Amino acid sequence: MFNDFVAPSLYPAAPEIFLLFMACVILLVDLGVKSPRRTLTFVLTQLTLLGCAAITLLTSNTEVVYTFSGMFVDDMMADLLKLLVYGAVMLALFYSREYIQDRQAIPKGEYFVLALLATLGMLVMISANHFLTLYLGLEMMSLSLYAMVALNRESAISTEAAMKYFILGALASGLLLYGMSMIYGATGSLEITEVGERLYTYSVDKSVLVFGIVFLVAGLAFKLGVVPFHMWVPDVYHGAPTSVTLFIAAAPKLAAFAIVMRLLVSGLITQAADWQGMLIVLSVLSMGIGNLVAIAQTNIKRMLAYSAISHMGFMLLGIVTGVVGGDARFALNAYSSAMFYVVTYVLTTLAGFGLIMMLTRAGFESDELDDFKGLNKRSPWFAAMMMFVMLSMAGIPFFVGFFAKFSVLQAVVAAGYYWLAVAAVLFSLVGAFYYLRVVKLMYFDEPKIQEPIEGPLFIKVLVSANGLAVAALGLFPQFLMSLCAYALMRSLT
Amino acid sequence: MLENYFPILMFILVGLAIGVLPVLMGWLLAPSRPDSEKLSPYECGFEAFEDARMKFDVRYYLIAIIFILFDLEIAFLFPWATVFKDIVASEPMRFFGFIEVAIFLTIILVGDAYAWAKGALDWE
Amino acid sequence: MDTLMQFGTGVFGTAWPAVWTLIKIVLIVAPLMLGVAYLTYAERKVIGYMQVRIGPNRVGPLGLLQPIADGVKLLLKEIVVPSGANRFLFVIAPMLSLAPALAAWAVVPFTDTLVLADIDASLLYILAIGSMGVYGVVLAGWASNSKYAFLGAMRAAAQIVSYEIAMGFALVVVLMVSGSLNLVDIVQSQQKGTFADMGLNFLSWNWLPLLPLFVVYFISGVAETNRAPFDVAEGESEIVAGFHVDYSGMAFAVFFLAEYAEMILIATLTSLLFLGGWSSPVAFLPDGIVWLLAKICFMLLFFLWFRATFPRYRYDHIMRLGWKVFIPLTVVWLFVVGIWMMSPLNIWK
Repeated sequence: MFNDFVAPSLYPAAPEIFLLFMACVILLVDLGVKSPRRTLTFVLTQLTLLGCAAITLLTSNTEVVYTFSGMFVDDMMADLLKLLVYGAVMLALFYSREYIQDRQAIPKGEYFVLALLATLGMLVMISANHFLTLYLGLEMMSLSLYAMVALNRESAISTEAAMKYFILGALASGLLLYGMSMIYGATGSLEITEVGERLYTYSVDKSVLVFGIVFLVAGLAFKLGVVPFHMWVPDVYHGAPTSVTLFIAAAPKLAAFAIVMRLLVSGLITQAADWQGMLIVLSVLSMGIGNLVAIAQTNIKRMLAYSAISHMGFMLLGIVTGVVGGDARFALNAYSSAMFYVVTYVLTTLAGFGLIMMLTRAGFESDELDDFKGLNKRSPWFAAMMMFVMLSMAGIPFFVGFFAKFSVLQAVVAAGYYWLAVAAVLFSLVGAFYYLRVVKLMYFDEPKIQEPIEGPLFIKVLVSANGLAVAALGLFPQFLMSLCAYALMRSLT
Repeated sequence: MLENYFPILMFILVGLAIGVLPVLMGWLLAPSRPDSEKLSPYECGFEAFEDARMKFDVRYYLIAIIFILFDLEIAFLFPWATVFKDIVASEPMRFFGFIEVAIFLTIILVGDAYAWAKGALDWE
Repeated sequence: MDTLMQFGTGVFGTAWPAVWTLIKIVLIVAPLMLGVAYLTYAERKVIGYMQVRIGPNRVGPLGLLQPIADGVKLLLKEIVVPSGANRFLFVIAPMLSLAPALAAWAVVPFTDTLVLADIDASLLYILAIGSMGVYGVVLAGWASNSKYAFLGAMRAAAQIVSYEIAMGFALVVVLMVSGSLNLVDIVQSQQKGTFADMGLNFLSWNWLPLLPLFVVYFISGVAETNRAPFDVAEGESEIVAGFHVDYSGMAFAVFFLAEYAEMILIATLTSLLFLGGWSSPVAFLPDGIVWLLAKICFMLLFFLWFRATFPRYRYDHIMRLGWKVFIPLTVVWLFVVGIWMMSPLNIWK
């Protein structure tokens, strides 16, 4: 009955398998760890991520490899994004260590295991070539994140944020699934590349397909957190423990970029005309509302949440302008600019939240803008780092954020959307206001408290390196840009 | 094929009818002389202290959640178990077919071990 | 038989298949109901003798009419619906409890040809419909709006779902060795093997190679039906009668029927899955429904025996037994049987 069975190659999924195995091991090992610092759990977690990175590097090749009957794909884009995810998660965990240590209510061991499982979800999302794999990864990540947001059980605001995140996230998953089922109905396949081919070769029921695309885009927009599906973002960023906010703000954005690429570009590129209009609306609204509302915020976590909304809107521009009217000449440029944008955004966000967490102490959250007053007097070095982050987010030359914005705008202009480019620049100027306000607070206001920033030396070095990377990549962006372009070129043929 | 399921539908209806009939007959034949004492909820002869829709132990939720996990696991195992003889009989599938399910089961056992160690299965 | 068919078609026309099915259903349900009635009688008699009493002996010869008298008495009792209760749920709960206990019988085979609905997924159907029973319990406890009923319902529901997992894993192993979800096939697959070739059929039945699962399945069945010694949910001395404390008259009788129908169902399933169903224990005697009935009675005797001899378990012990003993045991045995079947010693070819 099964004599023609061929075992699937596990090689392309080796990092995921290793991560799952280690997550199970760490979950059990942690039961025996009694120390409140959970050093063993922490070290094992970081080693696991290092091991995953090593496996990804070793198994990486320039070919596109499918396995599990085409449900899973391993290409250069996946490898690069996975490596960046490991890096982002490792940094986030280093930064969170002291923060969660100071907060009694947060279970320490579970924090790392949930982070690993969320990472696993991201990896599966990045490598998904099938609607179900994609959904599996998405839920794996989301469920872990819901739990992480709620980890601080004594905090009412965290619980509220987790509840909002969970309910809206479940709704978004529903929308996404509904869209997937519609597309399955129209094309008869759940495999993303297969869907792409069928749309290319056969004529399908257009109304069902467009219906599906609408739901799919709405679901994706929810997960990306772009206007008008952004309501959860500020509450979750604000309510979650800062270490979790950092986690949510960084690595998941990379995975979200991957699923947008897989679904819209690998699968539905022939229908680009249908989803481009929607993405343009989402993108303009996000840049507008994100930047405008951020001005009114007094809490830096909320401000960064609205900033994240506007950045995601900006990133979508790169995806919109890939194929315009069947003209794919600039596609690679556009997609790699979007990828470069996400990568630099993640890097900058990590540094920003890392700095916010350095300012916190036991029992004191430093998440109001006023807490940054006179930071220069307390610690000129870290004030400079924060300034780098803010200037990069604002897109001031010559920080990395500038080149990210610049390359996306180049793609937009190349695609002929001049008005879109003008709107993007205008909204970025609006955004510059609130980023510069933080700089003003740090340098021109008097501090409320005087003591300098404390923390382990290693973390200080790490945050500094992260902040300097934001500046350094601004001076030499070429390497990362060409890396993104190369990875996409190898993956999108 | 589907007509084999018709008797099942009828059986379910008959089952419901057998549930309904005695109650209906009892309602018709038996006396009905309600008074407020008789209609009060039973609490060993006392007046009911408070509404019975009260808070209850969170353990019941835990049990329910773990039950759902295991029940789904069993539902996934059913198709595999049905063809396990064929899996064993075919040379290329033999070990893969068993090891795969072993991993599947091990993952939930790890979760179960965690819940056990954390005391989710204890009723003091 | 043919003349009966022709006569039926003549009288009912196209509706005849439905009527014929209905007749067959009645032919299953009527003996079942009679069985339920006399199971209550048997329970009191057996426990009576075990405790050196006589048991009921007043109504009719040897007290044989006792169940009828009980039924009539309950029929004439007032059905009280408490003032605080949710009337709709309160009335519907006993029906939801009885319907699945009866509907499961639709796929139960009595011999290899005597089966109402011979479907391929019969075991799956039984598992599905068997899980419905818990709704009646929960709804009854909730709708009564009484603390005793509520507590009893919560306990009973947690206990039922806990033991359902162990039962499910036991079923998975039975499926592995029989390779079919069809109950007729499952019974027939037990009639092959080394011992069956020697004429000792009863040693080839599933109970021997799957002995731990047989024990777990049956004990879980006892716990599923909330019978002694697992009857804390309705422990008379603790929370009076548990989830049906506020039920009276026929509404109570329906719960009673459901519990005993469930008992007979569990005994029947155990006989089919582990004791070779209708096949005779030795090769020189013919197979037949008699064997199945004998096995069911044998398993039912255990229900009564447990009740007569075991003290009631404490609730935390019940949950510990289910979660920490039975579930690990069944999973381990699943692995053992899997490896066994892959080894050269495989006896289920």
